[in-house]
Amino acid sequence: MSLTELLQVEHLAKRYGDQIALADVAFDVREGEVLGIIGPNGSGKTTLLECLAGLQPADSGQVRWLGQALPRDRRKRAMFYIPDGIAPFAEHPVQAVLRFMASTHRQSTKAMQDATEALGLGPVLHKTVGTLSKGYRRRLLLALGLIAPHPMLVMDEPFDGFDLRQTRDVMMLLRATAKNGRALLLSIHQLGDAERICDRFVLLSAGSVRGRGSLHELRQRSGTSDGNLEDIFLALA
Amino acid sequence: MPSPDLIRTSAPFLPLLGKELRDLFAGRALWALLLLLSPLVGYSFIQAVSLYAEASRPAAQFPELARGLSPFDGIEVPTLGALYLATTLLFPFIAIRTIGAEKQNGGLKLLLQMPYSIPELIGTKLLTLLVAWLLALIPCLSALAIWLALGGHLGAGETLNLLLGHLLYMLVITGISLFAASLTDNGATAAIMTLAFTIGFWVLDFAAAGQGGAVQAIATLSLTAILRGFEQGIFSLAILAATVAAAVGLLALAGLWLPPGLAIRHKLVFSMLVIATATFVMFGAAQLHVYGDVTEDRRNSFPLPGANALASLGGRLTVIVNLSAKDPRFMDFHRSLLGKLRRTVPDVRVVVTSGRSSLFNTGDDTYGLIAYQYDGREASSRSTSPEEVLPLIYGLAGIDPPKSDAEETYPGYPLVVDATNAGSWFYVALPLLLLVAWALQSGLPRRARQILARK
Repeated sequence: MSLTELLQVEHLAKRYGDQIALADVAFDVREGEVLGIIGPNGSGKTTLLECLAGLQPADSGQVRWLGQALPRDRRKRAMFYIPDGIAPFAEHPVQAVLRFMASTHRQSTKAMQDATEALGLGPVLHKTVGTLSKGYRRRLLLALGLIAPHPMLVMDEPFDGFDLRQTRDVMMLLRATAKNGRALLLSIHQLGDAERICDRFVLLSAGSVRGRGSLHELRQRSGTSDGNLEDIFLALA
Repeated sequence: MPSPDLIRTSAPFLPLLGKELRDLFAGRALWALLLLLSPLVGYSFIQAVSLYAEASRPAAQFPELARGLSPFDGIEVPTLGALYLATTLLFPFIAIRTIGAEKQNGGLKLLLQMPYSIPELIGTKLLTLLVAWLLALIPCLSALAIWLALGGHLGAGETLNLLLGHLLYMLVITGISLFAASLTDNGATAAIMTLAFTIGFWVLDFAAAGQGGAVQAIATLSLTAILRGFEQGIFSLAILAATVAAAVGLLALAGLWLPPGLAIRHKLVFSMLVIATATFVMFGAAQLHVYGDVTEDRRNSFPLPGANALASLGGRLTVIVNLSAKDPRFMDFHRSLLGKLRRTVPDVRVVVTSGRSSLFNTGDDTYGLIAYQYDGREASSRSTSPEEVLPLIYGLAGIDPPKSDAEETYPGYPLVVDATNAGSWFYVALPLLLLVAWALQSGLPRRARQILARK
């Protein structure tokens, strides 16, 4: 089945002074797929996602949506980005945050309830966000992503703060979300997690793309016929 | 299956306002401001009433002394002086928090992705801060209500004008604070930047006191200068328009620097454009020659027939003042004549020729002389009294001195009254009410019930 290319990224580059953060990055994201940006800490994953979301200026490069140029100020109409390591709305009850997200995007109460149920937020609805554990805060952010109506969801380290069982549950939820047609772009540094959830991968090292494609394609390219993602990454990076 | 089309970017306004208000009330800064402001206003008010009562006592024996007793100067301005202090030193913390907290906890990254434009985000923050300022007015308005209850008098026009001055001052402080918060990565740096501005202007005012020339010209741009005219009972369209332009410019800069996705060079270019536009508008606004003397005793105006005659002058009146700006005569001349002439005559040019002269060592026989030129004619005088100078100007303009009608004389409002009992409101009751409101909104009773239920 040929999936529609939603997002095309070409020649994306970004520098912090003399340091190259992203160099000539190119890939595409297709409808209903989970694409993983894979790389070690400092490889440029977060910078890439923030440049895509329009939260950091890129030095050069093009971003297209369904073949049309998607300027920085219109990115929020295509994708919703959930950053890593943020702790927003600390003084708000969880329910108020979910309702805020739903009402600003004119989403139904059912969408809010579905997200609450899917992420198991029922027991903490009346607690303020600041009093939640890291795992619950992460679930809340994922719930916001599920409520958002954007055709593409971008998440930075979505499994941080979850134990094994929770990670598995969230993976199932994200797979179901992708099955419904949304594209998911995930930045993951745990290669095992990435291998379990992603359809395709973009291997990033020192700001450059070292390989992209499905596990099978990457194995062929790296010459590691039965290697796992770690073997492939070490062979290509 | 969701459509791959781009989603719409408009969103209802109320959820955003609700979120901002929740942030405002959840923070400690607002409650700290209100709790500090209550005793501060109370102390200012009780002291003002005490001094006013002292000044009013002789008026019982000498009714002509009553004419000098205006509650506007005696009660309102000093009471609202506490609000000025709070707006300068405490309000920036509330304003900075609206952006600074979201920058620090990462909430801004989510907020910028919501379907709101930057002007909507900044406008909502401004509206929220307006609510905060209105809450800060509660102690001030309660002081004025107590004054009325004690039998005092308030002039509606001068009171509203004074409140307008404070509102404009708050707008500029808010603009500076939001801009600083947008520019910097943490609230502490933004607070230092803002206070450097506000306290810097205090220093400038202090340095410019009694000075002439460039220092004084710069000092007219100070933040406190916004309020000064309103505290004298003068409504100035020029100040109003220029202040609004400055506030809008600062808010535009805040909006420009808020999104991290715009490249620095673009931000700098757009900032230059905003600053140039705001400066142009402010310069244009400064040319607006519309003033209103809203005081009940019309202290800032010439008597009406004279004012009408001066307002009809078609040519330029040049006033050459050979006095040092530090000279008390200059200050007296400015208060009783020059300021009124500037507000009344459509085209006045003032030349101060002795700005550098020392008060005691001028070595110049013409020192103290003030020359008036109109339509090629000139007259001069050393007087600073309108009764002597105005006939000179009428003579130069070739108009008959207008006859003074028997204007209604300002009666004055002496009142000997003790307001020390109001201390129980400002020092006890109002702070307690504020603490209860703080506890209620923070969910303290609910948490207490939960703890008790667990026991």
